[in-house]
Amino acid sequence: MIEAGDGTESLPGRLFIVEGIDGSGKSTQLDLLHKWLTSLGYLVVFTEWNSSPIVKGTTRRGKKLRLLSPMSFSLIHAADFANRVHAQILPALRSGAIVLADRYVYTAFARDAVRGVSREWIRRVYSFAVLPSLAFYFDVPLDEAIRRIMDGRPTLKYYEAGLDLELADDPAESFRRYQGLIQKEYEAMVAEYGLVRMNATENLIRQQQQMRRLVEPHLEGVRRVEGGNVSDALTETSLRGRYLVDRTGGATP
Amino acid sequence: MTEVRFYGDPPPGIDDRTLPGRLIVIEGTDGVGRSTQVALLKEWLEDRGYAVLDTGLVRSELAGPGIKRAKQGHTLDPITLNLFYATDFWDRMERQIIPALRAGMVALVDRYVFSLIARAAVRGVPADWMEELYGFALVPDAVMYLDIDVEHLLPRVLSKRGFDYWESGLDYLREADVYRSFVRYQTDLLAEFLRLAERHSFTVIDARRNISETFGAVRQEVERALHGMEVEPVPSLARTLDAAQGADAIPGDGSATSTGASSASPAT
Repeated sequence: MIEAGDGTESLPGRLFIVEGIDGSGKSTQLDLLHKWLTSLGYLVVFTEWNSSPIVKGTTRRGKKLRLLSPMSFSLIHAADFANRVHAQILPALRSGAIVLADRYVYTAFARDAVRGVSREWIRRVYSFAVLPSLAFYFDVPLDEAIRRIMDGRPTLKYYEAGLDLELADDPAESFRRYQGLIQKEYEAMVAEYGLVRMNATENLIRQQQQMRRLVEPHLEGVRRVEGGNVSDALTETSLRGRYLVDRTGGATP
Repeated sequence: MTEVRFYGDPPPGIDDRTLPGRLIVIEGTDGVGRSTQVALLKEWLEDRGYAVLDTGLVRSELAGPGIKRAKQGHTLDPITLNLFYATDFWDRMERQIIPALRAGMVALVDRYVFSLIARAAVRGVPADWMEELYGFALVPDAVMYLDIDVEHLLPRVLSKRGFDYWESGLDYLREADVYRSFVRYQTDLLAEFLRLAERHSFTVIDARRNISETFGAVRQEVERALHGMEVEPVPSLARTLDAAQGADAIPGDGSATSTGASSASPAT
């Protein structure tokens, strides 16, 4: 059981979140966890940063036209998050599902603090958020993270590189300093919020094993999808599933 | 505005200690006559040589279009809606209002954070969360609250656009018809406004009176707020025409301009 942000409601679902700087490998690990939980029959809902269908258009507009200041950057991301909490996360947790979030409030706490927004204020603004069952922080040396990002994606966007902070003119150098500042904020939050520190330079399999070990105790009593799967039913009834349209991409006899 | 003060933590990017302009806010429920008073006030100020910025809710370049879209089709929880409004508010604060105040203008704001706080409060959003959220708002030089009761409000609303979906609380009240919903919503909302008026010491103006009487009270409060402000000696068009007329430089009909000038002079 976890609690809604206002502390008035117990929710039967579970909430696992991942945090870390760009290039820490958190999304890969969350994806692996997602597949594992689904294979165990759990109902899993995935949500990622900056993806509210109602708000993200405005964020995109602000980024494209470079209208975002530290405060409006902070507020529009809070709006996006609030919409996902109320439209996705809370309903899923009420239904007893497992919610996996790629980035959570800590992303806002880190990025906004780096932009000069009051740390106390931003925490109060996000006080409606549900406290996660487990929050993983993927800790990676800055150089390693930068190398991973720059290998795959050479052009950095304005806000992504933190160019609005005027740390450096060169996008790559700006990105590096920006991520370094964010990392410092994360470091302070590990103790503040009891984030689970993951060694993100470890072998991928070993990281995943560790995640599953930590998640497992939280799964007790969580609802699984019942009703069996289709292939079991077919085997037991000796039917071929001729009319099951979405089974093998067509019901050809 | 001599000294820059915020309701809560000062937001990043605003380093000014003092601003030469004045921030003047008109608050009140929908249909009370705010926009009429703002229109009159803007003209009156300009006639006196003040440069005026007027702005109001959902007019930001950043979030205005997004809020309008969001309110059309979706049912939006009040927290999201308020953070959206807060984005719109801050964008105007930062890119319209503060630059105007720096330039020594009068910023005339049709609905400030208080309308947002009142509307959220009746929908169950905790008032302390809202007040903390809007801690980044500048404390205005004057906040005038146009006070009315539901009885006097009804004919004004009906004679204009009729009942609006949001301004009748239809998004959250479960009343059988729009009239009952409107009465219930506005009763709660007006009570919330009065609580805010007391808490933040608004100048409460009785808006049950006619337009001109109400405007008399508005002008009085604005004159107080403008006290000590330097005005560029830019004569208004009406006065220029008057002066020209007095000197017989412009022949013909001057009645319209002199009427304009006399109505623009402050009532005693």
